[in-house]
Amino acid sequence: MKKKSAILISLILIFGLLVAGCAPSTPDPGRDSIVVAMGGNPVTLDPHGSNDQASSRVHRQIYETLIYQTEELELVPALAESWTQVDELTFEFKLKAGVKFHNGETLTANDVKFTLERALASAFIGHIVGPIDAASITVVDDLTIRFSTTQPFAPMLTHLAHPAMAILNEKAVTEGGEDYGTNPVGTGPFKFVSWDFDEKVTLERFDDFHGTKALLREVVFRIIPDNTVRTVQLETGEADIIYDIQPTDVSRVDAAPNLTLVRDANLSVTYIGFNVDKAPFNDVRVRQAINLAVDMEAVVNAVYAGVGSPAKGPLGPNVFGANMDLEGWDRDLDTARALLAEAGFADGFTTTLWTNDNLQRVQIAEIVQNQLADVGITVEIVEVEWTKYLADTAAGLHDMFILGWTTVTADADYGLYALFHSSAVGTPGNRTFYRNARVDELLDLGRTTTDQAARLAAYREAQEIIRNEAPWVFTWNGENISGTQSNVTGFKQHPAGHHNLAGVSFAP
Amino acid sequence: MSVYTEKRQSLWLDAWRRLRKNKAAVVGLIILVMLVIVAIFADVIAPFDFTTQNLNAVLQKPNSTHWFGTDNFGRDIFSRVVYGSRISLRIGFIAVGIALIVGGSMGAIAGYFGGWFDTIVMRLVDIMLAVPTILLAISIVSVLGPGITNLMIAVGVSNVPTYARVVRASVLSIKETQYIEAARAMGSRDFTIIFKHVIPNTLAPVIVQSTIGVAGAILSAAGLGFIGLGIQPPNPEWGSMLNAGRHFIRDHPHLTTYPGLAIMVTILSLNLLGDGLRDVLDPKLQD
Amino acid sequence: MIKYILRRILLVIPVMLGVSFLVFTMIHFTPGDPVITILGETASQESIDQLREELGLNDPFLVQYFNYVRNIVVDQDMGRSYVTNRPVANEIIAKFPNTLRLALLGVLVSVSIGVPLGILSAVKQYTWIDNVAMFFALIGVSMPIFWQGILLILLFSVVLGVLPSSGFNTVQQMILPALTLGTGSAAIVARMTRSSMLEVYRQDYIRTARSKGLREFMVVTRHALRNTLIPVVTIIGLQFGFLLGGAIVTETIFSIPGVGRLMVDAIRQRDMLVVQGGVLFIAFTFSIVNLGVDVLYGFIDPKIRAQYK
Repeated sequence: MKKKSAILISLILIFGLLVAGCAPSTPDPGRDSIVVAMGGNPVTLDPHGSNDQASSRVHRQIYETLIYQTEELELVPALAESWTQVDELTFEFKLKAGVKFHNGETLTANDVKFTLERALASAFIGHIVGPIDAASITVVDDLTIRFSTTQPFAPMLTHLAHPAMAILNEKAVTEGGEDYGTNPVGTGPFKFVSWDFDEKVTLERFDDFHGTKALLREVVFRIIPDNTVRTVQLETGEADIIYDIQPTDVSRVDAAPNLTLVRDANLSVTYIGFNVDKAPFNDVRVRQAINLAVDMEAVVNAVYAGVGSPAKGPLGPNVFGANMDLEGWDRDLDTARALLAEAGFADGFTTTLWTNDNLQRVQIAEIVQNQLADVGITVEIVEVEWTKYLADTAAGLHDMFILGWTTVTADADYGLYALFHSSAVGTPGNRTFYRNARVDELLDLGRTTTDQAARLAAYREAQEIIRNEAPWVFTWNGENISGTQSNVTGFKQHPAGHHNLAGVSFAP
Repeated sequence: MSVYTEKRQSLWLDAWRRLRKNKAAVVGLIILVMLVIVAIFADVIAPFDFTTQNLNAVLQKPNSTHWFGTDNFGRDIFSRVVYGSRISLRIGFIAVGIALIVGGSMGAIAGYFGGWFDTIVMRLVDIMLAVPTILLAISIVSVLGPGITNLMIAVGVSNVPTYARVVRASVLSIKETQYIEAARAMGSRDFTIIFKHVIPNTLAPVIVQSTIGVAGAILSAAGLGFIGLGIQPPNPEWGSMLNAGRHFIRDHPHLTTYPGLAIMVTILSLNLLGDGLRDVLDPKLQD
Repeated sequence: MIKYILRRILLVIPVMLGVSFLVFTMIHFTPGDPVITILGETASQESIDQLREELGLNDPFLVQYFNYVRNIVVDQDMGRSYVTNRPVANEIIAKFPNTLRLALLGVLVSVSIGVPLGILSAVKQYTWIDNVAMFFALIGVSMPIFWQGILLILLFSVVLGVLPSSGFNTVQQMILPALTLGTGSAAIVARMTRSSMLEVYRQDYIRTARSKGLREFMVVTRHALRNTLIPVVTIIGLQFGFLLGGAIVTETIFSIPGVGRLMVDAIRQRDMLVVQGGVLFIAFTFSIVNLGVDVLYGFIDPKIRAQYK
């Protein structure tokens, strides 16, 4: 009997210890420490180790690029004080003097050379670097670096401003070895302190920062995967800023007197792609008919609760080169039916629409299924798991599919080449298998000519062709929606989603 | 008719008489029968088609036309819940059916013959039991892809070891009883003995386990829906309705309340019945 | 007894091997490609080939499995995640305590709800109190965990504003997740307590105690409850696995960094080594818990101890 009681008591004690062993921590972040809640989980803080937004959102604060693309999408000097294009292929960058890394090292051209070479060799972000010829990267002097591209590449500067092109310190990377991704060292306004995986990343102001120092002493990124809970965190004050407010919570945050809603158009587009290699989608009339049969206004309202806007073309409105004069495919069932009849499908047909388990995409699929029934097209929705989805759409096993794209560099080249050029079919990004010689020619021209007017004209024409040939159902242009406590000042969203927090502070 | 079968029948009659006295179990049974009736006559009961959208009547609160309101596509939630009973009950019963047939026969054969087959089966069961059921189900859905059939297979297969164990245990306890030995002495073949004598006598624990298992399967399916491995839209499975309505839970709770209540009522009724059956069929608890 | 425990521990090894082979095979033959998933929507064939080579995915299936087992046994190295390149062992060690704590607190909740309700309904068998008590116990198990979790957050964090909605470091942060997870098992614990209590109630020594004129309360707490322990301990052992599973959803809702969330993400990204590591860890814990439960019987009941040969 005694033994039994002893067991019982020790069990109770164990439970007690379990609870008591966890001392309270981080009760009130105070005035110079801010809590930012986001849904995604950073993969690695090695910018060459992944190209996901959650990672960029954190490492954007730690690192800098040679050139910075502002919230207004202008290119301004960052680590590079100035740059010149020596000839059609060659660029020369003059680095800012006296820039310190978080480990105390001083930035030199060797670090830039090291970074560019390492980035080029990365399977994850090698394609973002642009066609830089690794052999051409030359250290001219401590603060001057020069390199050439293998072919003329007009959007080169915007690529250098991509967060993945952050400049690393050679010594830190070598010392970090395989674990560099959890010991990042940059030149940015905040330095890395600690990372509790799946929970939070803590950053601290870097006092030797070469520019205007960050206003906050500490930034804590908390990973809150559930959308509803993230909004709750803002309302309860557990978070000071939250990213990606779900559409259904927008009005709630907007109405709350102690909260501020921040919303801006972003660089993303959601689309429904056709497999143009497959009948009946190899017939342009069928693709046009489907564009005419669906009503994207309804999608925006029912799926996104009024957030964002129906897409009219392949590029969002603030991308350089976006053709804003494209005519939208307004719903017109009679014309749609006539086009289908012309194509030999007067009685419609049966097809499948693939989506992954993203709730919004599933709901878009449900609306499209319903609307296409009005012109006799029977759509079966097939939910495919993400890994299989990417592999099978690249292999062309699909009929129709839903996917999104963010033009991170805000340049038409980034938003069109991978998605519509015939050389990019399959895994590189063109999952509609759309091939058009004229579009290829225009995209190549836009990529290689540095004459901005000629680029604009080329992209304008390319978008018109794409709009008319409709390899996509142009669906939705997104918005970045964040929320802050009203006493947070200086928070400004970056259209590409990786918001810069150096200027953020609490109002006195 | 043998003496044993007769005895068995009177046992069942006796159990039924006692079950009727257990009020909770009777309530559970009545609710369950009603749910099955709703599922069978869903097309008669539901006032609307479960896929018909009306984008001019979205997110309506419950009213006289739409008893449970409408969702963000203007679909009638009452109709969807009614049709959903078909899917959810089907998932529950078929998944348990799969687990029962596969696991049950594995357990019966292993328990009856013993030896190396028993060893292999039980080690396999140990291995599968060492991985949490839901994790096993997630892996299986990942292999097979989403969809109602695959969901049923995943939930079913992940429950196989449980049934293998339950059946094996009761086979072991019955194997040595006199009437099995009598049957054997009379020269019955093993196959006949297993199916005519052993299996019917293991029914009691299996029925209890299955009743509660159906509830577990429906919940597992809902859990998979939450992780995004549910069934293909626009099928109104309750778990996926709950998941899709989750984002509206604060301003329009009726999107989640009704499918949630439907799940609750179903699980409750199955559990009440299961508990009642356990009381009735477990000889140790009888006065 | 010692021999029995040793034999049981040795039995864990083939189970572990079996588990790892099962998982390895399943994920290996799952459609979808980890490399394409990691590289995302735009990936050139060169990058795909390069990464596949870097991760050793070009080796034949059995070679990959053999290498994996060898690395664990020889180098005590569980490898690195395909996705994050972090050591699998670190990842699991960082997260496992949270999951374990969550599961144990879940057990605590289910016991503190389930045992009293079970006793109550056994003592008042076949009365309306019995029915009401069992009904309450069942409510927890009837609600899908994620729905219950969100409702609890809305009630306690938003409406009442008394408990935080995320994290797992302070006592306050642990209450809601433990409730969400534990109520699901309360019904099972209550049911088991009730039936084993009923069984004990019919034993002679209870009748004796009663006839001696002991108050009913004393009979229940002094004599009946103790003997109800064994089946309750069993069910708690079994529930532990169920709770580890339920932790997956609870961890996501309450933003708790745990093994459940880690595993689901890893399965979906085909991050093989993380899945392997996680499953092995869970399976190992589960085996140990079950062993512990069996040993505990021996302490509680000498009759059972006699069977350990």
